Parts: sequence; C-alpha cells; structure tokens
Amino acid sequence: MTLNGAAAEASPGSDTTAAELVRDELGLTGTKVACGAGVCGACTLLVDGTPTASCLLPATALAGRTVTTVEGLAGPDGLHPVQRAFAAHDGMQCGYCTPGFVVEAAAFVDRHRAEHGDTRPSRAEIADALAGHLCRCGAYEGIYAAVAAACAGEHDTESPLPPPRAEAEEKVTGRARYTTDVRPEGCWEAVLVRSTRAHARVAAVDAGGAVHVDLLGADRTVRYVGQPLLAVAAPTPAEARAAAERVAVDYRDLPAALDPAAAHHAGAPVVYPTREAQNAAPSNNEGPPLPGRWRGNLRGPSGFGWRGGTAVRRVKDAAKRGDRRLVAEVFRTGPQVHTALEPHACVARWDEHGDLHLHTSTQAVVGVAEAAAKRWGLPRERVHVTAEHVGGGFGAKGGLRVEVVAAAELARAAGAPVRLVFDRAEELTDAGHRPGARVELGLLADAKGDLAALTMDAYNDGGMSTGGMVATLGLLMYGNAPRRLRDFDVLTNRPPGAPFRGPGGAQFHWALEQGVDMMAERLGEDPLALRRRWDGNRKRRALYDWAAALPVWAERTRGAGTGRFRRGVGVAAANWIYLTDPATVVDLVVEDGAVVARSAVQDIGTGSRSVITDVVRTELGLPADRVRVGVGRSGWSYAPGSNGSRTTASIGPAARDAARALREEVRRRAPGAVSGSGALDPEALKSLEGTQAGGRRRRDRGGYLTPVALPGMGAPGRGLTGAVHVMEVEVDTLLGQVRPLRCWAGISAGRMYNDRLARNQCEGGVVQGIGYALYEQRRDDPVTGAVLTTNLEDYRIPGIGDTPEITVHFHEEGWEHVVGGGVGIGEVSTIGVAAAVGNAVHDATGWRPREVPIRPDRLLEGIGLK
Amino acid sequence: MNAPQNVAAVAAALRETGAEARAGGTDLMARRREGIAGGPVTDLAGLVELRGVEWRADGSARIGALTTVAEVAADARLRAAYPALALTAAALATPQIRAVGTVGGNLLQRNRCAYFRSPLFDCHQSGGDTCPARAGDHANGTVVDLGSACVAPHPSSLAVALLAYAAEAEVAGQAKGTAGGGPRRPVADLYDGADSSRDHVLAPGELLTAVGLPAPAEGETAAYRRATSRSRAEWPLVEAVARVVWREGAVVDAAVAVGAVARTPLRLPEVEEALIGATGPEAAAGAVEGVVGRCAPLPRNGYKAALLRDTVRDVLERALAADQGI
Ligand SMILES: Cc1cc2nc3c(=O)[nH]c(=O)nc-3n(C[C@H](O)[C@H](O)[C@H](O)COP(=O)(O)OP(=O)(O)OC[C@H]3O[C@@H](n4cnc5c(N)ncnc54)[C@H](O)[C@@H]3O)c2cc1C
Ligand code: SF4
Ligand code: FES
Ligand code: FES
Repeated sequence: MTLNGAAAEASPGSDTTAAELVRDELGLTGTKVACGAGVCGACTLLVDGTPTASCLLPATALAGRTVTTVEGLAGPDGLHPVQRAFAAHDGMQCGYCTPGFVVEAAAFVDRHRAEHGDTRPSRAEIADALAGHLCRCGAYEGIYAAVAAACAGEHDTESPLPPPRAEAEEKVTGRARYTTDVRPEGCWEAVLVRSTRAHARVAAVDAGGAVHVDLLGADRTVRYVGQPLLAVAAPTPAEARAAAERVAVDYRDLPAALDPAAAHHAGAPVVYPTREAQNAAPSNNEGPPLPGRWRGNLRGPSGFGWRGGTAVRRVKDAAKRGDRRLVAEVFRTGPQVHTALEPHACVARWDEHGDLHLHTSTQAVVGVAEAAAKRWGLPRERVHVTAEHVGGGFGAKGGLRVEVVAAAELARAAGAPVRLVFDRAEELTDAGHRPGARVELGLLADAKGDLAALTMDAYNDGGMSTGGMVATLGLLMYGNAPRRLRDFDVLTNRPPGAPFRGPGGAQFHWALEQGVDMMAERLGEDPLALRRRWDGNRKRRALYDWAAALPVWAERTRGAGTGRFRRGVGVAAANWIYLTDPATVVDLVVEDGAVVARSAVQDIGTGSRSVITDVVRTELGLPADRVRVGVGRSGWSYAPGSNGSRTTASIGPAARDAARALREEVRRRAPGAVSGSGALDPEALKSLEGTQAGGRRRRDRGGYLTPVALPGMGAPGRGLTGAVHVMEVEVDTLLGQVRPLRCWAGISAGRMYNDRLARNQCEGGVVQGIGYALYEQRRDDPVTGAVLTTNLEDYRIPGIGDTPEITVHFHEEGWEHVVGGGVGIGEVSTIGVAAAVGNAVHDATGWRPREVPIRPDRLLEGIGLK
Repeated sequence: MNAPQNVAAVAAALRETGAEARAGGTDLMARRREGIAGGPVTDLAGLVELRGVEWRADGSARIGALTTVAEVAADARLRAAYPALALTAAALATPQIRAVGTVGGNLLQRNRCAYFRSPLFDCHQSGGDTCPARAGDHANGTVVDLGSACVAPHPSSLAVALLAYAAEAEVAGQAKGTAGGGPRRPVADLYDGADSSRDHVLAPGELLTAVGLPAPAEGETAAYRRATSRSRAEWPLVEAVARVVWREGAVVDAAVAVGAVARTPLRLPEVEEALIGATGPEAAAGAVEGVVGRCAPLPRNGYKAALLRDTVRDVLERALAADQGI
C-alpha cells in the first residue's frame, strides 16, 4: 500500500484490523481506537481518499490502496486547512477524538470546496458528514466553527496568532501521546479476568500457569458481574487474551440483590453482611463517605440541613391540608457512565534501582504517585507518574485504580514493562458511573410565595459502592429556609459508581429545578422571577436578569403548544462550590532562550497547560514561542488533581506568582531586561539561562462558605459558582424525539483565564447535560446483573447533530476576594442542564418528565400514547 | 492474500472449510472481536464481478452483492429509478460504515441483540436453547410475532427497502439436494421469521451474488423514516419505507415495508391496500389504523406498537407529499 505518500509493506493476519496495523505495527499512533465497533470514528483513516473506520476494517483490505492517517494529512505547505481551523477554533478538549474528526473533516472540506467553492456549509451538512464521530468532551461547537471556516477558505495560510490551546498542534497532527499510545520495548500485555457472577464466594482460582496477580479482597467475594478478580500478563496481546481464557474460577454462588427498588426490602440478599465488609465498600464520592447507619442494603441517612424538624412539620401539615403551594414529587435518574474516549490505561515498569514508572491515564498525577508510594512502600520521589495527555476523565480517573495496581504488580512478576488498557465493554461496565437516584422532593411556599420548607430524601443507587450525596447539596441552594436533607445508599450487586463531574449535582438539580418550575406554575409566577426572589445572591441575580432579557425568554409563548412539532423553553439554575489547593506550586526556569514552566498538573482536556502558558505569557509579555509548559509528571512541582473545580483556581495564581517572582529575579540579575510595563525582553533571555523562580497559590481573603465544612470535600472557598441555563427544544410528539435547538449558558465563576477554552468547557457541559437528559442510560440485565450497554451503539452519548447552538455568557464580577479572580467552571456548567431540558419539554408539551433519560417511549407514554 | 477469484471457487472453498465469508467486514469483524464468531474466514474482496450495478434491457437494475451501501446511496440512476432504496441506503449507519459495508453483508448481517453480542450469555442464536432477552431486557425486541422464540428484530435496513421493491436475491453455491430457496428467490425468502437460531437461511457455502430489482415504476414517490432518540447514527426503534405510484393525481400502487419490529422485515399489505386511490398525505392516518392490531408486544416493549403505527404514518405522509406531479 501507499501510506502517507510512501510505499509500505506489511503482512497482517486475517483478523488484524487496519487500526492495529497502523498503530501497533507501523507505529502511527495518531489513529485512536476508542469503541472498536465503528461508532465513534476515532480510528478514521482515508482509504483511497474515503474516510473509513479502521477498527472494523481488515488490514488485508488495505492492499494496493492509498492510505492517509492523521500524521499524513499535512502537505508540503504545512498543516491541512482543517487542522489549522480545529486549532484556531479550539475544536477539541482532551483531543482523543480529534485525529478522527480531523481526517474525516479534511475529506469533507476538500470535497465541499471542490463542489461548492469556498462557501460555508450548513450545520446540518456538517452534522451529516461527521455523523460517524463522537466527542465525549462535547467540543462540537468548536468543531462546527472550524469545519465551516475551513470550507470558506479562512485557514489556507498559517494564522499569525497562536491557537487558544497550547497543545493544539500536537492534537490535530496526532503527535500528542496518550497512555494508550505508550508501548515500550519488550512490553507485556495484561488482561483482567472479571467475575461472571453478580455475587459469589470464590473458592479457588486456577491461573493456569500464567503470570498473574490476585485482585480479590480478603473475603474472597465478588459482588458484581465484571468485578476484576485476577489479572494475567503475557508477551503479546493475543497470548494474554488466551491466558485469560484459561483461568478457571470456582464460584460458590450467593443470592444477589439486583433491583435497587427492592434491595432494601426485608429478605433481600445482603451485599455487605459484616462490618468489615461494609467498611471496605468502595466510595462513589470524593473523599470519605458521610457517616451512616447500615440496615441490610440501606445505608443512611446522613442528615443535614437546618431547622429540619420545622421543615418536615410544615411539609406534612401542608400535605394534610392539600396546600397547592406544596410541590411533593419523586424524580428518578439512572446510572450515567463517564465514557471518556481514552479508556483507563496504565503502562508500568520497575527500573533497575527499584523505582516504579507509571504512565497512566489519570486526572490525579500526584495522587497516584502518593498512593503508589504508600502501597509499594517507596519514597514518593521513587514513583514516577507520567500523564502527558489524558483523553478525558470526568471524575472516573482519580486515585490508584485497578489498572495501575494490576499493571505494577504484573510488571514486577514478569520482570518486564506491562501495559493494561480497558476495552470499551470494561469501560462501560467497570470504570465508574454517576449513581442513579430516586429523589423525594418536598418544596413548600408560604402565602407570600417565599420558600417555607425544603425536604429531600435521596435513595442513591451506586451499585455496590456507597457515598451518594445528592440531597446534601440542598445546603447550596435558595437561601436559608428550613430544610431537611437526607441521603441514603441502596446497595445492590451491581458495579460501583465514581465521582462524575459535579458528583450528586446532576441528580439533585434534575429534581430540585423541575420542582421549582412546578412551584412557579402553582404560584402563577415567571420561573426566572421566582428563582431570582428565592436566591438572594447578587452574582446569580445578575444571571437571572441576563436570562430574563434574552429574546427567547421574553418572547416565548406560554402554555403547551399544539400540532406535531412543539417548541418549548426551559430554564434551570445551579450552584456549585469551588475548592483551591494552597499547596500548589509552579516552577519557572529560563532554558534555551525561553521561559519553561513545569508542573505535575495533568491536562485532561480542561486546559491546565494553556492556563499556565497564558498566565506566564501575559504576565511577562512574551511571544508564544518564548514560553513552554510541561505538565503531567509527578516529579514536577505539586499540583492538585483535576476534580472539585480546583485545578485552574489553584495553578493560575501559582503561575502568576511564579512569573512575578521570575521577573524580580531577572530584574536583580539584568535590570535592563525588564521593561517599564514589566515585560521581559525576549532577546535578553539567552543570557539568563538557568534563572529560576517558583510561585505558590496564596490564600483567598475570607473564610469558609457554609456554616459547616462539607464532609469529604475539604474547605470550600467563599462564594458559590452559579449557572443559569436557558434551553429551547423541539418535541416531535409523533415519534417521541426531543431535539435541543438553542441553549444559553450564563456562568458566574469570576474571571476566565482563557476565554475560548472556558467557553469550550461550558459548551461541553451543555452537551453532556443533554446526553444525561435525553439519551444516556446504562441498562443492566435484571436476571444476572450483567451490564448490557457495553458498546457505544447501545450506550448513547450525544453526537454533533444533537448539539444545539450554544451561547455562553460569563458574569465575571464578584470574585475579587479570590486570588487570580477566577474559579472552576467544570461542574457548574453541566449539572443544571438536564433540568433545563426537562422544563423545556414540559413547556412544549405540558407533560412533566420525572425520569432521565427522556427516551421516546417515555415521552410518548407521558404525553398520552393513544 | 491470494483470495480465490471466482464465485464457484469461493463457494466451493467456503463449503469445504466451513469458513465465514467476509465482504466489508463491518459486522463480521465486530463479532470476531466480541468473541462470538470464530473459525476460518474467507474474503470475498477478490470477486470483482460482484461489484457494481448492471442495467438490464428492461431498464431494471441488478446490484452486485459487493456493491457498497454508499454506492447505492450515491448512484444517480438508482436514486431516480428506486428512490426508496437509495434513501434507505443513505440513512443507515454512518458514512464510514456505508463506505465499506456491502449490500450482501447488510442483508446477511447478524442481529444486534445485546445478549447475543455479549460473551456472557448463550441463547438460541449462539447455539443455546434459551432466550435471556425474554426474561430480561427486550425494550427493543420484536413486537410482531412470527413464531420464533428469539425476539431480536432483524437488523437490515436495506432488506426493508428491497422488500418494498419485491426484489430478488441471487444465490450461488448451493449444495445439491438442499431444501430451501433456489438460486433466485424473493429477498423475503432469505429470512425465516420462525427460525430462532439464525438471521438468514443461507447455508454455509452459499453466496449471495446479487439482488435484482423489477423494472422501475413510472411516477413513483418514496420516503424512508426511522424512530430514534438522537438525530443521527442510531439503530432504529422502528423503521419504515413507503413507495407510492401515481396516475393522474391518485395512488395506483403502493408498497410499505417496516423493520426493527419482527424477526424479518415485513410488508404491510393492509396499509398498501388502503392507500389505493389516495390523493395526498391526509390518507396516511386512516391507512395505518389497523397496524397496532398486528402487534403482540412483549411485557416491556408495548410502546413499539403505537410507534410502529406512527412511524408508518410519518413515512406515508412524506411519500404522499413528495412531488406528486409526475
Ligand atoms: C454504528 C453502526 C450503525 C449501523 N446502523 C445500521 C442501520 O441503521 N441499518 C442497517 O441495516 N445496518 C446498520 N449497520 C450495519 C451495517 O450496515 C452492516 O454491518 C454492513 O452493511 C455489513 O456489510 P459488510 O459488507 O461489512 O458485511 P460483513 O461483515 O462482511 O458480513 C456480514 C455477514 O454477511 C455474510 N456475507 C456478506 N456478504 C455475503 C455474501 N455475498 N454472500 C454470503 N454471505 C455474505 C458474512 O459471512 C457475514 O456473516 C450499522 C453498523 C454500525 C457499525
Ligand atoms: S432475542 Fe434472540 S438473539 Fe437475543 S437473546 Fe433472545 S434468542 Fe438470543
Ligand atoms: S474506534 Fe473505530 S469507530 Fe470507534
Ligand atoms: S476532545 Fe473529543 S473526546 Fe475529548
């Protein structure tokens, strides 16, 4: 075949896929494999110019063909216009889907320009062309913009401006290396052997002579289908799979609790029968779980609130007298799977000094290093964790997970590096999920329409994990009316949950924000006006005012529509906390005539590399090519994990502090190199080689946010971030489809460090919220407990065609007490979105959805299937 | 690869080795990766004679089994002559899959039931004797009972459209004395709705070589619709094809076929009859009234009966509204 312009030869086996050939044999790792099933497009190659999913294409089909991978897209005059456009419009976040998108878009743009000249295609045309691609980060708005601009001929020459994302060029060319691309010389492959039983004691395991590590807990019990019980390794993937096949497990089946609606009934099989087993249950939240009493499979309540007795009494009395100003409703959500496109992966190696080297797809580089050091009894600096690029995390890639433990143990046993990569079925079963919940909401208004009481009981369905914290989030919303907030865990023999972008927040807002809409209807009040009244906060009031002034809101028609296609507009508010990590450090050093920043921080697509780059460039007035940033190594200066909305708010100020310190150091050494405005003279850097400075994250003014510190979350900063989402949908009442048309996202989180990246993240938050509201549902077999949605056809995440036109509005005032002026937006930008969809569907149809996802069958039943 | 080069030789080789044929491989490779297909594989790629469209003297088309779905969707003459087929081809799967997947592979692909595709379950389709979907999750299961224990709907969209054209399948390589259809048979006879163990009736070693269509009808309008939750690239909950033939402003002939609702694609003759004489989209609502009565939903897929009716109604309204001037 001709590969990227040169002749190439290979003699692949019959079952080898084209993706395996180019990645594993020819070393072109720009092509990614994310689903392996022809759904996501990450593996797209051009075969004789036609975009083709290489994960299903037999490698033998490439014989005699002309093949172009992402690495071969660039021509003699530099990057393909589409690559430049993706960089300029930031059509990416984590970048794992980017090579596939770019390859397909290049073919589309070339064809479009040949047929229609330099014109902009419609959104629908772009969506049709890119229908075979999925981006879990939801960077679709940037992708639309990039493709349209490339078609219009706007990127035929190199842009004089650097792209908004520091590593954009690496991502559009396929050069960016992810853990799944790492395969050192002599590397062995590992496979996890997983339980096929929902609940069983394992009497014996016969590893069949393979190099293996036992992963079962002390009680030798498996508690869900898919639980890892052993890992094996062998020199090649095929041998490893064969070794895994040979493992024999002797199960002694135990009765299993599979239905979260019945697991707490008397007589149900108990998931954790002993105190020790209960204490060993994994947590699906950040930090230690709230205290809670166990009764069989029910754990809790963990009660919070203030004047809880009053709240309960008021709600009860209102129910008795049939008060219309009481909204008493039950809302439901199911498990939502993170579905990062880069699967969980680790490559582990022990060196000759006994140091442990881990390449891993993690959102907590330092966290993994610390935990690994503890587990293997090493000083922290002898564990070397690398995560150069990370293909998405969303909460599921924190801490020392099974892929790291297994790979490191096997590497020791094998005396060779070992690589362990989850496949998509494992990822969709056992990589964590946002637990489902049944939320009982009580919302009472008094005669004046003020909030008189809030009660919420949440029964959290995190499989065999504990830690559900949904109702507790009622501490954050709508002032200080009496409230009782209780969280329960309902344990079942199903896979454990994990923190997911605003843990508990999406479930909580789905219930509360629809409840508030119902209240507005009862009170005959505009839903925005009611929220504005109930929410005393000045920053969020600015968002309500902004939303109320939007034409789509001001001009909306009231009441359900008629006819087959009905439009509706819905609104939802959300609050979130922010954390900072005062231990964060950024180090700068002058090297090769440039300022180089180094930080352990990982970049999971949220832009930590770009934040440091921008701050240093701006602060020191340097051109793009004079600032370089390295991230994702545990040996570099301390940075927190990417969760809890704390990364940007921690590293941004530390980077600024470091830049200022460096400037002082330069001034001391070469006063002439610093201009009046504080900029460094780029030419002078050459003679300043080795000059260094470090910066810290200083403390914010003021104290804690809540009367009590939120358990397990550390000390949150003062002030809540806020979001108001306005969503317009069109409902097809004949076939039950809900189509999001336009969305406005108002965010109050202070100053944005990098405007385009921040918008991108908020756009992605909208897309993920739409997925939650409309499509995403893990399905489990009710009889065996096995997860059935093990591929990306059946587990449905939003595609580019499901993306509404999104407008992001930042209200930046009100964060002056925070060092750096800005805090995190990751969570607040997504957790309210589903409720906005729900409220819009209600506005369109008059039917109130109570359960996500709002599938066609549920919608049709709801609006009255004839 | 030295893939054998002619149909007879390939068929003989398939029969001898018991190998599974591989056309585009988009279905087969997925099943092999999932570990639910094994054994030897024989590539059909070398059979150039099975590629492309041949136009016969009566103006009808014969489409080679190795013609890709994308070629069917893009072929201007096919689009004019058999609009329902081209529309269906353009709407299924994703651009990348259409570029590789073939007509033959589409018609003979295996079903997408999650239990069948999971290595954790055995069922009628994988050599077992139970159907875990019946007791378990069958939200997307069949809603029209053709007498099989398996409740996985047939996956092929092209089969639905070809049924609406009463197309004919050409099959080579039959072992002597075998029962079943002959070398030419209606596409409908590739399937047996009562058979729980397989998704088509071709024996190992039998090759689908082409599908032949009847001469195109003058004055045809057509539509294809599917019900899904997302806007694109999603397997249908229900899919429907309608073709109507007009004379002087009234429908004189109609063909309506549906998919994703039964073990095979289905024609709906009662709907077709009700359309004769129709003059516009208003006729759709009345024509679909009997559709729900055909359905025998499973315990947890009752929604599909009304959704079938309404998808058919939608496709009819579109076909009846589409440029009746001709
Ligand atoms: C994301 C996604 C979405 C999809 N959506 C749809 C959809 O909406 N509608 C739809 O219809 N399909 C859909 N498909 C399926 C797709 O259309 C089929 O996989 C494809 O058409 C199969 O063609 P192929 O040539 O690749 O078949 P192969 O995988 O090569 O073969 C499939 C089967 O047919 C047999 N076979 C193939 N050709 C012959 C022949 N000539 N004679 C005898 N046996 C033969 C093979 O032995 C094999 O058993 C989707 C697939 C994906 C990945
Ligand atoms: S529906 Fe058919 S394919 Fe699915 S489990 Fe039952 S028998 Fe198997
Ligand atoms: S990896 Fe090939 S399409 Fe997803
Ligand atoms: S950027 Fe698309 S998946 Fe992360």
